[in-house]
Amino acid sequence: MTRARLIERALLLAATVSGLSTVSIFVFMVILGLPILTAGHFSELLTGPWSPDHGVYGIRSMIVGSLTISFLSLLFAFPLSLGTSVLIAVLAPRGVALAMKRLVRFMTAIPTVVYGFVGIFLLVPIIRELFVHGSGMSILTAALLLAILISPTMILIFVDSFERVPRSYLTAVAALGGSRIDKLIHVILPCSWPGIVTGLVLALGRAMGDTMISLMVAGNSVGLPQSILDSSRTLTGHIGLIISADFDSLEFKALFACGLLLYLMTSIMVVIIRSLHFRAGVRGW
Amino acid sequence: MKTKIRLSDISFSYGNKLIFKQINAEFAEHCITAIVGPSGQGKSTLLTIINRLWEDIPATNLHGKIEVWLNGTNGTPQDIYDSAYPADSLRRKVGMLFQTPNPLPMSIYRNVAFPLKLAGIKDRELVDHKVKTALRQAFLWKEVKDRLDDNALILSGGQQQRLCIARALIMEPEVLLLDEPTSSLDSRACKVIEELLLTLQQQCTIVMVSHYLDQVKRVADTTWQLEDGRLTRI
Amino acid sequence: MVMKRVKESIIVVLSWLCSLLLAGSVATIIGYLLFKGLATINLALIFGDTAPLEAIFLGRQVFNGLLPAMVGTLALVLLALIFAIPLGVAAGIYMAEYGKGRLKGWFSLFFDILASIPSIVVGLFGFSVAVFLHHNLSERIYPCLLIAALSLAFLVLPYIIRTTQVALESIPVTIRQTAPALGATKLQNISHVLLPHALSAMMSGIVLAMGRCAEDTAVIMLTGVVASAGMPRSIFAGFEALPFYIYYISAQYSDSRELASGYGAAIILLIICIMLFGLAFYIKARFELTFTARSGDKRRISQRIMKAPDRRKKSLKVNFQTEQSGQGTLL
Repeated sequence: MTRARLIERALLLAATVSGLSTVSIFVFMVILGLPILTAGHFSELLTGPWSPDHGVYGIRSMIVGSLTISFLSLLFAFPLSLGTSVLIAVLAPRGVALAMKRLVRFMTAIPTVVYGFVGIFLLVPIIRELFVHGSGMSILTAALLLAILISPTMILIFVDSFERVPRSYLTAVAALGGSRIDKLIHVILPCSWPGIVTGLVLALGRAMGDTMISLMVAGNSVGLPQSILDSSRTLTGHIGLIISADFDSLEFKALFACGLLLYLMTSIMVVIIRSLHFRAGVRGW
Repeated sequence: MKTKIRLSDISFSYGNKLIFKQINAEFAEHCITAIVGPSGQGKSTLLTIINRLWEDIPATNLHGKIEVWLNGTNGTPQDIYDSAYPADSLRRKVGMLFQTPNPLPMSIYRNVAFPLKLAGIKDRELVDHKVKTALRQAFLWKEVKDRLDDNALILSGGQQQRLCIARALIMEPEVLLLDEPTSSLDSRACKVIEELLLTLQQQCTIVMVSHYLDQVKRVADTTWQLEDGRLTRI
Repeated sequence: MVMKRVKESIIVVLSWLCSLLLAGSVATIIGYLLFKGLATINLALIFGDTAPLEAIFLGRQVFNGLLPAMVGTLALVLLALIFAIPLGVAAGIYMAEYGKGRLKGWFSLFFDILASIPSIVVGLFGFSVAVFLHHNLSERIYPCLLIAALSLAFLVLPYIIRTTQVALESIPVTIRQTAPALGATKLQNISHVLLPHALSAMMSGIVLAMGRCAEDTAVIMLTGVVASAGMPRSIFAGFEALPFYIYYISAQYSDSRELASGYGAAIILLIICIMLFGLAFYIKARFELTFTARSGDKRRISQRIMKAPDRRKKSLKVNFQTEQSGQGTLL
């Protein structure tokens, strides 16, 4: 085999190993979680309460916890991000836009655990005193912090897709006497919907996949939350709280069900984004 | 006159669009052959099938045979699509120049010496000498001899194109393919290049795409027209 | 018309409000951290009761200090990158230059999924691999520095692949075709032109990946990080790390001194991440398109060439055929 061919093979091998790692994580989760997925535990797993003392390993409240926290944070973060992106891409004077963009990029450098740390000592007491309900560690607290964590993801994607709108469209609107808000509403936003959806889905994935914030400020109680002021545990937090090293217990196997669920949810989001881009690429917008 | 390049029954398709239909042509040695025709007919593509540069483009397909009479092969032509014949050796003998000059972001010296580096020539004295000769042949030596270490990207458009010619010449190619080499230049730079081409004719065979008919009239020995996938001699 | 103007003003005001709210939140978080923690930043925070020079040069144990956690994080980042960079860069080159058709599509999908997997799931994977090996291969294998670094490598792998791929693919066609037209083989084109061209973008991606390794907590907390291990002694042992220390303190602090060290650790980690982040941008901005000649030795080559005597053309005619034999040694 020639040298060139050998190197090509080596590169292919590297790509294959990397690709296989994705598959092997999935296979590991399935094989190790299998005992709890079969044997009649399946429906109990998804809908039952978490009560190891009674031999019930349901992860319903973690699923609810993950979903409420991530969607609530998206609810906070979306308007915030959209407003900020519009300011950066359309409204602000050059200097302000640049400063704001730098700030958003800077935010991506802040470690999650730092957000969580400040959250515990700053936000949790505020929530506790404001609502006089429980410890202050709640779905709301986690969602608020997560909103700040995921905003940069959305803003950077939004701004990028706003800036990709062809200049000629904007000139056309301006020539017809449209204001910059007209440009925004009639051209920029409609043109960049794939970017907006991509940003939303990616941010949701980040919120759902984040461990430290919910672990640190959501309270981690295993009960089914009744309101957003209740303490709650997420799927990620549940995995993070492994204490038992008893590898063969059903309690432990349930963690793989959580992992599998997270894996599948984020994979679905990836597929959504990819198909979106494919279609957007074909159809313009 | 001796034939340098022969195209036999060349058909070329991109996706499911047939671009060339059964092209047959012969280009004579030490002549300047011009290819003219409306834009979008694949004139540039025709050049890239002579140095196999099209092969990296996906969804393309070529049928037919191209032979080049290379020096020192006792009159037997080389089938350039022979699977045993590597594309990189072909491209050292068949140089190409693009519409827009494409110097690499390195110094002037390193740009011109780059093909020698690719060929594994390390003798510094020899490299220096070849660089100097090539720059002289490309009428560029006087303008750059004091600043060979400067980044090539600061040269003017016309100088960049002559730099690219020097870089192609340093390999002492037998054939030079030119894809509208003056289209991005002003008329003065354009004139310098045209004069240069006439002197280069001594050492290599030139195939050139152009859509300036007056330019073709000034420099070309033979002219072919490419239209509707067919190549006809005018 | 008036209605329209009112509507437009509302949009403008809301947009400014959103930005102010976001900037305000970040300023509050950072400000609070600095306000509470800046006073604790001193040598004792890092070295505890041990003298700094003795800790560094004599390897004396540091108690009540952050040094073991900082060194642990450093070891972790370096080890993870040693695994991730060769694999990621090679896979990225494959994706950009060799991969095509359906296979490339599948790889691309897999890398996207790998990038999206929550880090805690990667951690769980690492943990269960360690336990699996413990049961089936050797009793001596536990979650440790090596396992944590390998897991982190998987976490940043797709990132490095994508940066490499995008950096290569965004090279314009004119530059991409230059070397082949001059007789370069595909490999020569990659090594002499494409990779140097993409290097700055790749470097900045790798530095950002370092930042991710340094700040990640979820992966390491399942794969071998512990609250007190001292300096990392072996890749098969547990280790300390800054982000985990911060998490641990936030949940388990026993006195105000420990809490203060938590603030200090958070500031140090923040500074490390910001510096890495800044470095990534600096690399990208500074080295964009400049793998050019060193400008320090201006005119050196010019003088050399002009001094050289003109040889006759005859001696110049070197047959390329014979010189091509040297070409294999180029890479």
